[in-house]
Amino acid sequence: MEHKHKQKMIDLVELQLGKDFNSNIIEEVVQHMEECPDCKIYVDSVQQTIKLYRTTEKEQSIPVEVSDRLFKVLNLQHKDDA
Amino acid sequence: MKPIKSQSINETEIVEKAQAGDKSAIAYLVNTYSSRIYSLALRIMRHEEDAEDVLQETFILMIRKISTFSGKSSFYTWLYRVATNVALGKLREKKYSDKTISIDEPDFQSFKGYQLSEWPDHLEEKLDDEAFQNCLTMAMEELSDNYRAVFVLRDLENISTRETSAILNLTEANVKVRLMRARLFLRDQLANHLKCVGLPDGA
Repeated sequence: MEHKHKQKMIDLVELQLGKDFNSNIIEEVVQHMEECPDCKIYVDSVQQTIKLYRTTEKEQSIPVEVSDRLFKVLNLQHKDDA
Repeated sequence: MKPIKSQSINETEIVEKAQAGDKSAIAYLVNTYSSRIYSLALRIMRHEEDAEDVLQETFILMIRKISTFSGKSSFYTWLYRVATNVALGKLREKKYSDKTISIDEPDFQSFKGYQLSEWPDHLEEKLDDEAFQNCLTMAMEELSDNYRAVFVLRDLENISTRETSAILNLTEANVKVRLMRARLFLRDQLANHLKCVGLPDGA
């Protein structure tokens, strides 16, 4: 269980810092976070922030009228007209 | 103009045809990428009309400059680069940046000391709340353009660090630093705005 928790922390740190950091540095950060609840709370809230934006800022399909105007501006034949 | 059928498409061939001026190949590329470019533009510009301007300008530039595409990167990386540059250029033109807080400023308030309170779990359940949505929108709009572009490409578009660095003409290290700063900025701004929906402010 503890190993699972630690791996989760490592994944979290790697997500934040990138995977190409020296593994000793990542270990050190993970160690610090385990001993420092404030840091863990902070990192968790950053993760929540990213998750919230991923949920709200979903990819939006191009509206039909926007697509139509684009093809007109470019003087191209729309696939639906072909 | 004979339309290109979508099965067994080799994009390299399509791009080569488009470079030679083949209108059906150009139409295929526009059709393939217009939705993604519109979504990207909307995320960076935050306004539908501006996003449409970016969309149109991007594909006008694509047609004009596709002959310069050398194939060193993937086509969509090249196109994303065009679109991102158009978007950031338009933001500069319109001086939208004046409305944002530069996170280059050394006295940037977001990075002052952290006295933390834990955020509640399942904040996403609050997403139907209009006030909470406004908090998210305000925080994003307060992020300066260049940092928003990194956040959008890396965290929302899921573009790799390497591709983001190519798109924005930054080093990979710079992309990582900007992404980290953007995430922290959004987190701290959001923490401040969360007061408006009665959640712990976290900072």
